[in-house]
Amino acid sequence: MADQKTVRLIIERQDGPNEKPYTQEFDVPYRPGLNIVAALMEIQKNPVTADGKKVAPVVWECNCLEKVCGACMMVINGKARQACCSLVDKLEQPIHLAPARTFPVIRDLLIDRSVMFESLKRIQGWVEVDGTWEVKDAPIQNPYTAQTAYEISHCMTCGCCLEACPNVGPQSDFIGPAPTVQAYLFNLHPLGKFDAPKRLNALMEKGGITSCGNSQNCVQACPKNIKLTTYLAQLNRDVNKQALKNIFNH
Amino acid sequence: MFHTTFYLRRLHSLVGLFILGGVIFEHIFTNSMAMGGAAALNGALAMMELIPKPIFLGIEVCAIAVPLLFHAIYGVYIALQANNNPRRFGYIRNWQFALQRWTAWYLVVFLIWHIGYLRIFTKGITGTPISYELLQNLFTSSPITTVLYILGMWAAIFHFCNGITTFCMTWGIAKGPRVQNVVGVLSMCLCAVLCLITLAFMGSYFVM
Repeated sequence: MADQKTVRLIIERQDGPNEKPYTQEFDVPYRPGLNIVAALMEIQKNPVTADGKKVAPVVWECNCLEKVCGACMMVINGKARQACCSLVDKLEQPIHLAPARTFPVIRDLLIDRSVMFESLKRIQGWVEVDGTWEVKDAPIQNPYTAQTAYEISHCMTCGCCLEACPNVGPQSDFIGPAPTVQAYLFNLHPLGKFDAPKRLNALMEKGGITSCGNSQNCVQACPKNIKLTTYLAQLNRDVNKQALKNIFNH
Repeated sequence: MFHTTFYLRRLHSLVGLFILGGVIFEHIFTNSMAMGGAAALNGALAMMELIPKPIFLGIEVCAIAVPLLFHAIYGVYIALQANNNPRRFGYIRNWQFALQRWTAWYLVVFLIWHIGYLRIFTKGITGTPISYELLQNLFTSSPITTVLYILGMWAAIFHFCNGITTFCMTWGIAKGPRVQNVVGVLSMCLCAVLCLITLAFMGSYFVM
């Protein structure tokens, strides 16, 4: 099949967390509707570079393949996005793939995003349901804020917003837009709102919401179209009110 | 628990907008008198001399020197936390974010020169009063000085005007994208107007 159409992928690889990055080029047979995850699967089947060298297959992470889990986030042609919903037909070729270096790289395109889980623990990204009280029926959601809560609940901690944010990285301790905005989701919850002061106080700590520099890259990068900057502004408002309470209530 | 970072960041924001913003407006207001010629600017400077010396010095220290030093030192710390990436993510706000930091770096150097030479050396050490003639001589004798001064004023004006936009976001005043956009456009209009005024009074030294 000499006339088989191929797609050129230029991949930034790395053999281990502390190894030096290098690039390798691969040619993958084209088919309509091909996406980046499927292209990486082709490389896995036949890990041979464009100049015919047999190499270790490229490592990456993916799970749901429908832009819900967030696992396959990587830098595709310079922008952080999900590999599963990045269609080759809509990308400029050759396609450049790189790991999201805001996070520690484990190998090739595989990154360690556990820092976001730690941040979610820090802002108390859960609702307290168990206690010494009787558990009754679930409380109703406020119908006026349910839409907003639903929108923010779409966050899949993929990390696109952290990769795009200039204030997130090894040079800074900012927890990033995604975990910050999750605090608002749980503050909206009819039971979660009891712990709102706790979350707002956590956001006032070093690396919390004050590290936001309003570059607004997050809202552009979010694959779930969450209005991150709007909720960051809302949280700023809430945090300022909390600060006034902290000062004048004691 | 005392949230030091939070209060320092908010103080940085307040100081920048209200105190240093005031300093910028005072500078533009007084210096624009140069367009009226030597008599007008020297008259405005003489008006300021009417304030008793100790009070004037107190204002200079409390309303300029201390806030400026705080804003600059803490600002350098903030700027060091950014990894500017407008080339990768070329959105307007991201360019403004990077420019906010680049103008800050320029202003740190420029203000050390500006304050060090005009206020501390010329006025403080040699005792030469600042006058229209002194400034005209300073600018017309060296086009490089003029360009660096115009860039310094423009950097300060942009930093202040973009600061209005980010102030409105940081304090939760402008929440949604529409109002944030309106605030952003209005403050850039103010930036353009103030930059043109600066260009006009700086140019007036060369035509008069």
